[in-house]
Parts: sequence; structure tokens; C-alpha cells
Amino acid sequence: METLKSIYEVTWFILLVAAGVAVLIGYLYSHFKFYSRSWFFPAALAAFPLLALAVFGGLLGGYTFKLWLYFLLAEAAIAAFFRSVVKGRHTVPYLMLAPAFVGLALLLVYPFIFEVYLSFHDLKLTTIMTWKNTGTLPFVGIDQYVKVFTTSPLSETTFWHLLLRTLVWTFSNVFFHVLGGFILALMLNNHIKFKGFYRTLLVIPWAMPQVVAVLAMRGEFHSTNGFVNIVINKLLAVFPFLAGLGVAPVQWLTDYPLLTCTLINIWLGIPFMMVVILGGLQSISSSYYDAADIDGASYFQKLRFITLPLVRPVMMPAVTLGTVWTFNNINVIYLVTGQAGGTEQADILVSALYKAAFTYNRYSYSAAFALVVFAMLFFFSVFYLKSFDAAKDER
Amino acid sequence: MATVQFKKIIKKFGDNLVLNGVDVDIKDHEFVVIVGPSGCGKTTLLRMLAGLEEITDGEIFIDNLLVNELHPSKREIAMVFQDYALYPHMTVEENMNFALRLRKMPKKEIAARVTEAANILQLNKFLKRMPKQLSGGQRQRVAIGRAIVRKPKVFLFDEPLSNLDAKLREEMRVEIAKLYQRLNATIIYVTHDQVEAMTLAGRIVIMNHGIVQQVGSPIEVYRKPCNLFVAGFIGSPTMNLLSGRLSIADGVSVFFNESLTLPIPAFVLPQKEARDGREVVLGIRPDDVLVEHPGGEKCSSKIEGVLEVCELLGHRENLYLKVGGQRLLATVEAFFNRSPGSAVSLCLNYQNMHIFDKVTERRISE
Repeated sequence: METLKSIYEVTWFILLVAAGVAVLIGYLYSHFKFYSRSWFFPAALAAFPLLALAVFGGLLGGYTFKLWLYFLLAEAAIAAFFRSVVKGRHTVPYLMLAPAFVGLALLLVYPFIFEVYLSFHDLKLTTIMTWKNTGTLPFVGIDQYVKVFTTSPLSETTFWHLLLRTLVWTFSNVFFHVLGGFILALMLNNHIKFKGFYRTLLVIPWAMPQVVAVLAMRGEFHSTNGFVNIVINKLLAVFPFLAGLGVAPVQWLTDYPLLTCTLINIWLGIPFMMVVILGGLQSISSSYYDAADIDGASYFQKLRFITLPLVRPVMMPAVTLGTVWTFNNINVIYLVTGQAGGTEQADILVSALYKAAFTYNRYSYSAAFALVVFAMLFFFSVFYLKSFDAAKDER
Repeated sequence: MATVQFKKIIKKFGDNLVLNGVDVDIKDHEFVVIVGPSGCGKTTLLRMLAGLEEITDGEIFIDNLLVNELHPSKREIAMVFQDYALYPHMTVEENMNFALRLRKMPKKEIAARVTEAANILQLNKFLKRMPKQLSGGQRQRVAIGRAIVRKPKVFLFDEPLSNLDAKLREEMRVEIAKLYQRLNATIIYVTHDQVEAMTLAGRIVIMNHGIVQQVGSPIEVYRKPCNLFVAGFIGSPTMNLLSGRLSIADGVSVFFNESLTLPIPAFVLPQKEARDGREVVLGIRPDDVLVEHPGGEKCSSKIEGVLEVCELLGHRENLYLKVGGQRLLATVEAFFNRSPGSAVSLCLNYQNMHIFDKVTERRISE
């Protein structure tokens, strides 16, 4: 009976979403047809929110007026976009894209706008009930942003320290991802036997669910039962002189949490870079290497003067992506150190942000925090891609 | 400048025999064109000379130095690739001086050599450009310039004109011929285009199935093709090849098949007795099929044929004729004012007649 009920609920929800999408698409269609009529703009402004209210109004209970306002705004934005930007050109492509846009709007645009809203208000454990009962929050202006830079999301580490740690983490990870990926790709690009087998083996860490991979690796760094320490112990037993060099088993998870996370994340990230770089390597025509051979270039000169410059176009977007992913990588840090009683020594900006939001319940603060992180990554990406484009134009 | 010798060169890719005992001697300052259909192993031979392909067996000498184990850069050769292989991220100038920079040559010397090559090839305006900003012909010139600046002993050209359109190809062909006159270098040039081979070469090496078919000057291989393959490959339009049999009637050698009976004079086929009863292929170039010709001593007697199709090329005209069941192509001066289907008389020029043994495919006529 319980299962039947949940199936019924899910079906109902799916139908509801489908109906919503259908209405939106039909509405867009009418846009495309009547976009140039003088009566269209006001009529659409009035009619569609009413329709939306009729459909969703009952469902959402007390929020009807606000909801109507939001619909009105969205409506105005969409209608203005179609009147001034689309202007009736390429109507069919937009129509085809509409379902995807609706999905994106629900999943990305709405949360983003809500986050901006939150960051200028004060939602925390003490105000959340007021919000629930009245639907209003105290407006605090840029207070939350000031707090981001002046107070700390954690108990031990300051924001600036976290930022520095994040930069070190990102740089070291991406550096070793690219280095390792490049070396493996170069090796795989040769004519070797069982190439497909090696490639599959090397891609496995990437193909595995990250949670599984990280938890498995975390086990390997366990102080007594982990693979790493066992190997170190065996090595010490075989080569006693290593002890004189300072090699000894280490409490990885408690003494060097960030290093452990870095090692695990490097292992996880290399396959992606390897695949991308291998693709780039394979697209380089072998006649360049023939020409370089005749010109008298050594292996490293070929690497420097031909392989690197020609792989750069595929590598740069991958490095940008990898940087953003690493900067925002909460999985590894949280899964290795973040559980109850975990250390703060390995926290980077996003994992601290997670703790601020869901351990300390400082929602508005963490919204502002998230926007600051977003701004950093946004400017980094824009700058990076711009400089890459400039380099490409030179060619 | 240098001589090049191939001695019993064999190349295998796995079990696939690509080159089977190639023996060619190339003299100093010679322009040798290696020509053959695709897959005949000509590019492989060139790449082996450049050191880009391993030699399965045999020896290659450059300037009497065995280079089998020598690194490409030490062989003092320069190669122009089919796809130019210009480094896309370097300017024209950087492309041209790359090899010199790698050798750590003094900058003055590099600049002088690049300027000199650019002058020869009229590339001065383009030195700062990127390869992708150049047209196909200009890229080709840069690729040649990259070879020139190195002052190599031997220039290797691997189908350098095949990526260009027909008109540009003609222009570049002349450019290369001029360049050869100017550099007076040893040049080995690979192509599948027999027109390029005929126009550029001092000597032609014709290859098929990994075997050298004939080596000779363009006029030699055109006038005296040594086997059926060369006869069919060299010359445009292609030579007419008629299958038939030889016999002796009234002391004269006669070629016959179901559509045609043709006496063969002794100056064409000297040892007529030895050839009696042989299956042969008679080759005659379209130019030597004389249509509506008064005839003469060096010509066969009149043969009656039917005109099937005319193709006007401008100054010449291709006539597709049928003699009995035998098709023949003749080229004549334009304009041959006959409608298709009309009867024409023709005779074959004995002076340029070739007879090949059908079994061995070797030339048996003079």
C-alpha cells in the first residue's frame, strides 16, 4: 500500500511538471507567432501569471501574491527577450531549446536568484521560524559580505587562511593532474601492446563513483590497516637504512589530512587530464614529428616545440575546468575528514562553506560566502579563457 | 650536393612486402622523379631515404656514406611533405629557421639564410605570418623554403603538389623547375602524376608493386617503355593496347586478332621467327593512330573504322574509334568535322609501335 501511494505521488508530480512544461512551451509558441502584435505584450503580461496562479496557486498556499509577482517579472523578462533579441528570427531553434531552458531555469537560475536574495537578508537558526511563519526576512544589506571577510566560517581557521590553503590545494592538484596526465598520455600514445587494457585500467578511478573511490582510498591511508602504511612497514623491514632517512609510518588522517586529501584527489583527477591530453596528442599529425626529426629535434625539443604548443588548445579548457572543479571539490575533503569529529586542518573554502551552512546553520552568511567564491571562480575563468583566446588569435 | 644509391632495398610491414629489391643510382645534381600508382611503395622508399622508416634489408648510400642507421637529421637531407607539415604555431620565419635554431647557428647566419630563401621564393612579405594565413601555394613555398635554408645534400619532395588545385599545380611545377635550375641540387621527387614526372624529371624511376619497372630519361620511357605497365602508365591519353597473336605469313610477321590483321615490318620486330605464334600485346599511342592520313612507307595500310565519340580538348581532339570489335583512341588536330557513326580510315604509325609479350609483359619490339 505504501509503495502504491508513493508511486501515485511520483506519477502525479511528473504529470504536474510535464503539464507545466507543456503550458510553457505552448505559451512560448504563441510568443513566436504573435511577437510583433501590439496587444501581445500587455496581454501576455496579464494572462500568463493568471494561468500560472490557477495551476500552481492552490498548491503553494500562502505565497500566492509573491508567486504572482515573480511570474510577472519572469514573464516580462522572457517577453522582452523575445521581442528585442529574438525578433522572430530562428524561432524554431528557440522552441526546441525551450524545454532545456525550463529545466535550467528551475535547477540553476531560480536557486541562484534565491541565493542572491538570501545573501542580502539574514536567515539563520534564530530567524528561520519567523521566515516560515511570515515569509519575510530582515534585510541587512551587505553585512553578510562584510562578515565573510572579517569573521571565519570555522572555529580555528580564518577566511584568509582558508583562501590561501584553497589556492595551494588547487594549484598543487591541478599541477599534478596535468603532469601525471601528460606523462601517462605520452606513454599511451606510443605503439605499445595492450594499450586498450592500460587505458581502461587508468580510467577506472575516474569512472568509479567518487564517493566509493574516495572512501576506499581513505581506508588505504588508515594508520594500522591501510595499504600505504603497510607498504612503508614492509619497505622498512627489507631496507632498514630507510629508517635513517626518516621514512616511517605516519598517522595520515590525523597528522597530514590535507596531504592525504591531495594525494587522493591527484589519483582521482589524473585520468580526466590523461584522456583529454591523449585526445589532443592523437590529433597531432605525425608529419610534424617527421619534419622535426629531419630538422634535427631531440625528443625533448619535439616535446617542447611541437607537442606542448599543439596540445595547448585542448589542454587549456581542461585546465580551466579542472581548476574550477578542484577549487570547488568538497567530496574528497568532506569524505576524508569532514565527518563527525573531523579536523579543520584540511578544510578549503567550499568545505568550510558546507560546514557553515549545514553544521552551523548560518544560511545567509553561507549564501554570501558562496557568492564570493563564485565571483572568484568567475573572474578567474573569464580571465583565463580571454587570455587563451588572445593567444589563439595570435596564431 | 651528393649522389644517392639504393642497393637491394627491401621493406616489409609485417608480412606485407612493400619494396622488393629496389636498386637505383642517383647521380650528383640529378633531378630524379619516382613515379607510380598509389601503393607502389614510392613514398616508403623516400621515407626510408629520409630515415623516417626503418629499412628491412638493403643499403642506402648518400654521398657514398652508408646511412642505414643514421638519424634523419644527420643525413643532410631536407624533405617537403605532401601536407607541408608546417608547424602551425610558428610564423613563416620561425618555420623556416627552426632547424637552424636547433643547430644553434649564429643569428646573423640564420637571418641571412632565411632572407636568401625568402628572396628566391618571394616570401619576404609573409615572413611574419602564420601558416594558416597563407594560401596553399604560399604554404608550399614555405615548405620548400624550410628545405632550402638548411642547404642539404639532397632534397626530397613527397608528392608536394597533390594538395593544390590544377592551375596552381602547373604554376608550382614551373616554380620547382626554375628552382632546380637555380639550386642545381640533387632532387628526389615522388609523385603519382606522370605529367609531373615527364615535365620535371631528368630521369624517371617508374615503380609498381614495390619493384622498379624502368629507369630512364622521360623521352626514353615514353618512346621505349620496357614493359606493359610502363607503356600503360606513361603518356596521356593512355596508349592503346591491343591483344592478339603473331604469326608468319609469306615471310612477313603478322599481328592478328578477331578484328584486325596487321603486317609487322622487320624494323619493328627483328626476330620474327622466334616470336612466331606468341600471344602479344600491341601498343600504339593515340598520337600514332593516324586518321584520314595519306599513308606511306612507315605506316600500316588503311584500316576501316567507325567513329564513336569525339572529345574536343581545344587544339586537339580525342577520337574514340572502333575497328571491328576493337576500340582505339586517336588524337588528332582540331577540328575533325565528322559526326559520330561515320566511317573513317586510319593507319598505324610503325615508327612508334610497341609489342609486348603477353606472358612476360616485356617489350619484344625494337
